[in-house]
Amino acid sequence: METRVYLGVDVGSVSTKLVAIDSMGRVLGDCYLQTQGQPIRAIQKGLDEVRRVLPQNATVAGVATTGSGRVIAAALLGADIVKNEITAHATATLRVLPAARTIIEIGGQDSKLILLNHGVVTDFAMNTVCAAGTGSFLDRQAHRLGLPVEDLGELALQAKKPTRIAGRCAVFAESDMIHKQQSGHSLPDIVAGLCEALVRNYMNNVGKGKTVKGPVSFQGGVAANTGIRKAFEVALETPVVVPEHYRVMGALGAAYLAAETVGKSVFRGFGVVEANCHAISEPCLSCGNSCEVVRFVMEGRVLAHWGDRCGKYSNKQLSSAGS
Amino acid sequence: MRITFPHMGTLSLAMQALLENLGLEVVMPPPITSRTLSLGAKYSPECVCLPFKVNIGNYIEAMELGADTVVMAGGIGPCRLGYYAELQREILFDLGFNAKMIVLEPPQGGVTELWGKISSLTRGHNILSVARVFYFAWRLAKSLDNVEKTLHHVRALEKTRGLCDIIWSDAQSTIGRARTLRELWAAETRIKERLATLPLRTGGAPLRVGLVGEIYMLLEPKVNLGLAERLGYLGVEVHRSMFVSDWVTHHLVPDPRAKILARKVKRAAKPYLRGHVGGHGLETIGHSVLYAEEGMDGIIQVLPLTCMPEIVAQSILPTVSQKYEVPILTLVMDEHAGETGLQTRLEAFVDMMRSRKKQGGSVLKYGN
Amino acid sequence: MVVVGVPRALLYYVYFPFWRRFFSELGVEVVLSAPTSEDFFIAGAKAVVDEVCAPVKIAMGHILSLAPHVDYVLVPRFVSVEPRTYICPKLMGLPDMIRHNGLKMPPLLAPDIDLSRGYLGLGQVLTETSRVLGKGWWESGRAFYRALPEVSRTRRQLMTGLTPEEAFHGTLRLHQPGRRLRIALLGHPYSIYDPLLSMNIIERLRSLDVDVVTAEMLPDEHIALGLARLQKKLFWTLSKMVLGAGLYFLHHDSEVEGIIVMSSFGCGLESLVGDMLERFARRQEFPMLHLTVDEHSAEAGLVTRLEAFVETVRGRTSHAHHLSPYGNAELGNASAP
Repeated sequence: METRVYLGVDVGSVSTKLVAIDSMGRVLGDCYLQTQGQPIRAIQKGLDEVRRVLPQNATVAGVATTGSGRVIAAALLGADIVKNEITAHATATLRVLPAARTIIEIGGQDSKLILLNHGVVTDFAMNTVCAAGTGSFLDRQAHRLGLPVEDLGELALQAKKPTRIAGRCAVFAESDMIHKQQSGHSLPDIVAGLCEALVRNYMNNVGKGKTVKGPVSFQGGVAANTGIRKAFEVALETPVVVPEHYRVMGALGAAYLAAETVGKSVFRGFGVVEANCHAISEPCLSCGNSCEVVRFVMEGRVLAHWGDRCGKYSNKQLSSAGS
Repeated sequence: MRITFPHMGTLSLAMQALLENLGLEVVMPPPITSRTLSLGAKYSPECVCLPFKVNIGNYIEAMELGADTVVMAGGIGPCRLGYYAELQREILFDLGFNAKMIVLEPPQGGVTELWGKISSLTRGHNILSVARVFYFAWRLAKSLDNVEKTLHHVRALEKTRGLCDIIWSDAQSTIGRARTLRELWAAETRIKERLATLPLRTGGAPLRVGLVGEIYMLLEPKVNLGLAERLGYLGVEVHRSMFVSDWVTHHLVPDPRAKILARKVKRAAKPYLRGHVGGHGLETIGHSVLYAEEGMDGIIQVLPLTCMPEIVAQSILPTVSQKYEVPILTLVMDEHAGETGLQTRLEAFVDMMRSRKKQGGSVLKYGN
Repeated sequence: MVVVGVPRALLYYVYFPFWRRFFSELGVEVVLSAPTSEDFFIAGAKAVVDEVCAPVKIAMGHILSLAPHVDYVLVPRFVSVEPRTYICPKLMGLPDMIRHNGLKMPPLLAPDIDLSRGYLGLGQVLTETSRVLGKGWWESGRAFYRALPEVSRTRRQLMTGLTPEEAFHGTLRLHQPGRRLRIALLGHPYSIYDPLLSMNIIERLRSLDVDVVTAEMLPDEHIALGLARLQKKLFWTLSKMVLGAGLYFLHHDSEVEGIIVMSSFGCGLESLVGDMLERFARRQEFPMLHLTVDEHSAEAGLVTRLEAFVETVRGRTSHAHHLSPYGNAELGNASAP
């Protein structure tokens, strides 16, 4: 008797996440690693780790990919479904917190706000241009202060009076922090001020003009930071919940979507973990568009193309629209 | 005199036809690439709008090919476009290019001033022949715009992906090459036939989206990363609020039909924005209201970073969105806008419109 | 008695005496908001789109602070104050941005001030004020007529070297001899005179023994002289002051030794005009410091740059070295020219 499992893969610019679930929707294993600019290697590594925790008789009955690297993940693994992260996050949240009305997701480079009603995404927003409301801002400041980013949350909770740190631009904010440090503000106060600044930037940018209703689900790597969670609760005046799998909700959502696969999965098999692959991009000069076409090669065979607007190269239409 | 001009969608083809028909030597600026954007960004002030930066990139690349004169559009404010040429001239001067700038805009000092400005271009032609040349260029632009409009509508239904793009490529080269009305008619007929025989899926009711915002971002596909095409591939029928020939008709030529439409747009915007804010800020609001009233499934506003009139519109659109219960997506773009980021936002927006439409009823009411 | 609140922001720095006289002639009480403080910024930023510039955010904060104490807040729709010239798109849209930001905002007194097509545009001011304040049209007209001379009177006061706040509230500044170094400070009035946004730059410069000259302190003829050097007329009133004064100091005035330009991060007008002025200054090798300000309070950075600049300029003057002082700094970011 074989166990059917479904894989969800979320490849982001900063981190890559994988989740495996069974047909009842229970999480069998998950994995979170740094992409470090090499998505192919990160996916292979992640797949290898997840493989170890699966039951002996497991067969992969469906694969779905999401995130900014969803196309390359689909080419590498063979994916039944490729979806954008908004839908993936919404799917996961609605399964684990059906009453959720708002999702706040702060990742390394992107921040998102998703509004839900009656099980459907009714509105969403992503950060417009800059990184001031994202995880990379926190990482940089933690690095500069010589602290592990995981400890920032606890430190923030010790603050007596959070320092006001200004600046919608990360550069301005940093210079403000330096000034406050040199004026003798305590470290917990500064870190708490940093959390408030991040929340404020998030609300002024991503959250501007949106009516946030509770219950709020807070996810993404930054959700581990209790200081930020508290700052959100204060700013939004509503309880903020961090789900159990907060770090991998995108991949989890993809896994749920993968579970809807009908028929045989196009998964290439766990052999891809050791496969020798790379992606090459070249401009196509057939027409005025000059698209950068990417060619994905595994063990010497060209498996997939993407990046062409007209579809001359790509065999399969890898978009979320039905056709 | 070797003349160049900035790219803005199909405007370059109309400009080329215009200037060549006046017997002038034209240096077509090379297509916009990442080199163009880098050059532009490097030599422009940091917080200036993207169209300015792309212009500079175009000029430098054209000057590298020997151009010495720039013909471009201007304005009388309050949008920055009206003062582009002045700073661009100084930038080119500091880079060692002593370029002459000829700016086409509503004259500050009367019609004789406008004639004086373009006299260097129209040497050897009388006023009737100049009028004929301008009319032809406008007609060429209109012809291309009509094809583009049709393609925006049908791309969502094309049976073979990419066929619309091939027809558009064809249209740009055949219609774009025409220099007489006869050639133009021949080219139009050919393209019309191709459009008529384009295989389309039947029975589809694609989502309908209105595109509004700043004119350059709307019209130049290299900077909006093929926005209309992407939407088409996602199964969306695109309605764009501005086309090149419309802009010319509205700003440089007193066309009564254009004036009537302009009044309609202004009236639609009145409850939300009392008057002009420069650029196309008022039009963005007006068009959004009209699209919402027509029952569009969604509206997308595109603007370059720091665009003042569009920032005003951006802050008022949420009220329109709420009133008409239509989702509005704002895309703020600069030279480092990533394609994947754009694709993600568009896919999520399309998914959202689709599921809202399916659900219908109470979920659509905002604030519920 | 009707109470109207006047925000101490944006064009307050140019027209407050006019409005003060106008409302007093009408028998309307005027309440002025407090000088800008950080809370205004925080509250204001929440009430408007993030992409907007700092002066507008500060103005929002002032407007919100006045709301509980007044019947109406004065937020004119400033389009234009001279033919064929405009103020700024954001100010043209400001009342509507306020009305539609989805928050509870106080009722506005928002007359259109649009002289772009001629002075008859002023009629709208009377119509709107009469309508909102319940005064007769003629009464408003008379009050307007009596208040109008305040505009030129204010100009004359500023030309004696006072800042707007000093002129409006009757502070007497004693002329202090011994300040030899004259440095121009150019920027939109709501940036350079706002205590929070400018981080009190005028006071700081004065404490460094610098005589500060602003565009408002120049007579119109001098500004016009500067502007005459441009090939095309500028269509932004405030930029005309900045660029006109800058060009005047570069080419016609031998007393000013350096120019400081202060612009807001994201200001559309300044992105063009500031750059042009920098280019002209660079061609003359004239000392210029370009400061970009936004919401932040890193005063240490400002002080360092000011001191360095003043010393450089002083050094040039006393040693007559032909040093190119070329520096262009954004606060919080030391970037190379």
